[in-house]
Amino acid sequence: MADPARIKPEGTPERAASASEEDPKPEETEDVAATAKPEDENKEPSSQDQPKQELKAELAAGEDEEEGTSGQPASKRLKVEPEKKKEKRHKVDEDEIQKMQVLVSSFSEEQLNRYEMYRRSAFPKAAIKRLIQSITGSSVSQNVVIAMSGISKVFAGEIVEEALDVCEKWGDTPPLQPKHMREAVRRLKSRDQIPNSKHKNILFH
Amino acid sequence: MADEEDEAGFDEEVEDGCGGVDVGHGKRKRLFSKELRCMMYGFGDDQNPYTESVDILEDLVIEFITEMTHKAMSIGRQGRVQVEDIVFLIRKDPRKFARVKDLLTMNEELKRARKAFDEANYGS
Repeated sequence: MADPARIKPEGTPERAASASEEDPKPEETEDVAATAKPEDENKEPSSQDQPKQELKAELAAGEDEEEGTSGQPASKRLKVEPEKKKEKRHKVDEDEIQKMQVLVSSFSEEQLNRYEMYRRSAFPKAAIKRLIQSITGSSVSQNVVIAMSGISKVFAGEIVEEALDVCEKWGDTPPLQPKHMREAVRRLKSRDQIPNSKHKNILFH
Repeated sequence: MADEEDEAGFDEEVEDGCGGVDVGHGKRKRLFSKELRCMMYGFGDDQNPYTESVDILEDLVIEFITEMTHKAMSIGRQGRVQVEDIVFLIRKDPRKFARVKDLLTMNEELKRARKAFDEANYGS
């Protein structure tokens, strides 16, 4: 049996490491471009959730080690983890929803306007469908259009965020100018976040 | 305006069917001007973004969609674009991946809810 006294000290350093890993996931679904607050608010409660998850993972791992092979205990472990993961995800969702409500209720008029634009703006499905179909030459399903417009919005958001970074770094003010946009594109390209299949790498010349 | 046209990324504008002549970039009708303006404001820009910036962003988005479509056509089932291909292409980017998963899950839920609602109405 895993020793509870042994688990705790091992759990804490891992908590710090995985707390920082876990955070980007719930945040990025909300795409916090306009506000930095949720980032800080998210960190505290999720680090409280971490020890629970760590303990369970440690217990499962402890049982596995005892058996020595990954025969039976691995399948037991697989059954137990998805349920707990679902519970934890459900709880994290509720926490996040609550925190978002608190945040939005404290917005100023201008912030509310911006947030509304952020949530409501979207690419027109018809135009996206027409564009994709003009490239493929055949029809595409509705899900494809939904997925493509979704990631296009995220893509636009990434560029605008980076351009705002550049703008601030250069000591300018919004509205964004083309030079900011171009510098943002250059930076994102160097991070491989902008797909480009036009350049062919010749390995041996 | 000359600077913008030098960008290598905006090459696809040339093939917009204007007789094969390079009539300059941006001759294609602007598809997303209104929506992009709202989007830029939502993402943190000024309430009235510059038209040139909106144009640049539109070109980038169209190029992104074109690239993704071409890549999706080359993997999985050739010549067709399917959701699985898009999800596969996006797997390395956590933000986009999570967003697509969310959107598709929500869409399924909405479809189920609508179906249940319609059936309830039909029954009564």
